[in-house]
Amino acid sequence: MKKVFLVVALVLLLVTSVAFGAGQKEAAKPKVTVFWALYDGLTEEYRANLQSAFMKEYPNIDLDIVPIPWDNVYDKLTTAMAGGNPPELCVIGTRWALELLALDAIEPPEKYVSKATMDNIFDGAKEAYIGGTLWGLPIAAGARVLAINTDLTDRVPNTMEELREYALEAQRRTGKYGLVMPGRKHTELTDFLYYFYSNGGDFFEVKPDGTFGKCTVNSDAGVKALEFMVRLATQDKVVPAGYLSQTRMEAHPVFYAGDAAYVMIGAWADSSLEQAGAKFGVKYAQIPGFAGKSSAPLMVTDSLAFFKDAKYKEEAGIFVDFFYRDEWKAKFDELIGFPPVTKSAATLPQFQTPLYKALGDAAANAKPIPLVEGFAEMTDVVWDAVVMAYLGQKTPKRALDDAAREIDAIVASYE
Amino acid sequence: MKQLSAKSLRGETRMAYALLAPAALFIAIFMIYPVIYVVLMSLFRTNKLGILQNFVWFENFIKQFQKKVFWVVTGRSLLWTVLAVLAKTVLGMVIALCLNTEFKGRKFARLLFIIPWASSVPISSMLWKWVYDHEFGLLNHTLMRLGIMSNPPVWTGDPFWSFFACLWVDVWIGVPFMALVFLAGMQSVSRDLYESAEVDGVGAWGKFFYITVPSIKQIIFIATLLSSLWTFNDFNTIYILTKGGPAGATDILITSIYTNGFEWLRFSDAAVMAVVTFIVLMVVSIVYARVYFRGEDEAL
Repeated sequence: MKKVFLVVALVLLLVTSVAFGAGQKEAAKPKVTVFWALYDGLTEEYRANLQSAFMKEYPNIDLDIVPIPWDNVYDKLTTAMAGGNPPELCVIGTRWALELLALDAIEPPEKYVSKATMDNIFDGAKEAYIGGTLWGLPIAAGARVLAINTDLTDRVPNTMEELREYALEAQRRTGKYGLVMPGRKHTELTDFLYYFYSNGGDFFEVKPDGTFGKCTVNSDAGVKALEFMVRLATQDKVVPAGYLSQTRMEAHPVFYAGDAAYVMIGAWADSSLEQAGAKFGVKYAQIPGFAGKSSAPLMVTDSLAFFKDAKYKEEAGIFVDFFYRDEWKAKFDELIGFPPVTKSAATLPQFQTPLYKALGDAAANAKPIPLVEGFAEMTDVVWDAVVMAYLGQKTPKRALDDAAREIDAIVASYE
Repeated sequence: MKQLSAKSLRGETRMAYALLAPAALFIAIFMIYPVIYVVLMSLFRTNKLGILQNFVWFENFIKQFQKKVFWVVTGRSLLWTVLAVLAKTVLGMVIALCLNTEFKGRKFARLLFIIPWASSVPISSMLWKWVYDHEFGLLNHTLMRLGIMSNPPVWTGDPFWSFFACLWVDVWIGVPFMALVFLAGMQSVSRDLYESAEVDGVGAWGKFFYITVPSIKQIIFIATLLSSLWTFNDFNTIYILTKGGPAGATDILITSIYTNGFEWLRFSDAAVMAVVTFIVLMVVSIVYARVYFRGEDEAL
């Protein structure tokens, strides 16, 4: 019996020592983990090349760039943080920064990134300033525009009402869809905000001291915007019949396939169209305002954040300096189609196209998503209200009244 | 001799403990600790990383029970489980009966039936997501081409159909397990019983209800219990197909736990729902166990 115990003990000892040995070997080489959001247009080849090029130049650092679909980044990040194992770096929607800051989860990139890299980034793109500190480096920043399939229509709308009219006309004439409009909840609230902002809407009332007050999605601007969306979808039927089952990622391919005349889209349009092999002509215009209202396109920025509890932030800083070189960052911008955030890349010839011109014009009047804690939950609440209005379960007014009430309760729960 | 046996027995006991210790340690770390922590989270206010802040007794439960949406989601979870397990049991029984008869290619048929269960659930769910796609999906294409429907529903975008679309995928994935378990049970039933029944002039239905079902009763109990536990906790199917939408129409407790915990970072609310789920499943398991062991005692 003693012999058996001896054997068991020896095996356990061996297993533990091997495990510890392996752990020490691993610990000798720092490993930088990056949660890498899969933007439309971003290729696996680029990710793999970036990873291997960095490790070739810095053989003493392991780099793991983990590709994650955009809609899953937030979930993946929160589960990693809750498990006490955050990545060194993660691409975040800048609107999440407040939440992450409340958790004391992120650190200012300035601590780890060289001054040369910081100085090369446009100040205007640095949206993640909270309390005078920059909490994330801009990785992609761009306003949304209207893409038009010129094989189906060449009419550029000046108002939302004209957009409806032209979309209907294109649909009647060509038998294709007039307009792409995702109707299934996804991570971003973009699809409601396009119409809401175009009607002069604001998510919250702004108090004299600049802080947010009550939720105002149920303002006249909001109700009219949602009524307009419901009309397009359920009465005009100018959007794809399956819109209720389509998130943005599922709806946009209808446009890429040449089956819709108009789509409100981001800077990735050109690269996605190219990757989809689109053969039709495309032109870009501003997302119009409703009659009597100015165009106010949505501005979305994403940032690269450093995580406080990660082990190898110094090494992560070295990676960021490497990635923000024109050789890699400009290629990244080109693939995802966003305008460059670095001064050196902005002068490159590939960023002097009509799409970038339209994006530049849009940025002048663009409005961002409010930086407020709990926005992920608020996004779900508004999405549910929009879907209930589409389904006829509630009128747009009632749906948004209920949503505003719920959002006020969410805000109150954080106070 | 007696002394030697006792010594040997003690040695074997020690050996058994030594061999069980790693597994017990693993279970304690990865199962018992999380369960205890979840119960604690439900009794505490937590921060956005799920770290316990202050003890609030049953305040989280009271708040949750006051929400209408909680009861709707709980009711839907029960409906989802009952319908899915019922469908899997009936279909599994039919398939098992078919596979229990002699026909050419029976082995191949058995192999085919096991594919949905052998495939990973996320992959099967993604496959069905494509099948249901309104624009490019195989289902609508087939329905329209065959003239069965000119304007098929948006399977995952309509509140009514999306529930049944998810339910069907769960059934599709789970049926092979039921069928195989039932088939194994059927094959252990003595042929003599059927032959005697035939001599007495008993028909096919009679043989099924008076010989097959009573003979595999215990197996049916265990299979439906396991299926109930898995179905109640089926996160993958719903999350991949609808994420609980449209407008919450397919949200069940397990998807709601995920949304509250990992999307909204409301870990206390998620923990309350997890505790409720745990209690529901424990009650179901205990009731089943009692009935099962009573049946075994009677059989003895």
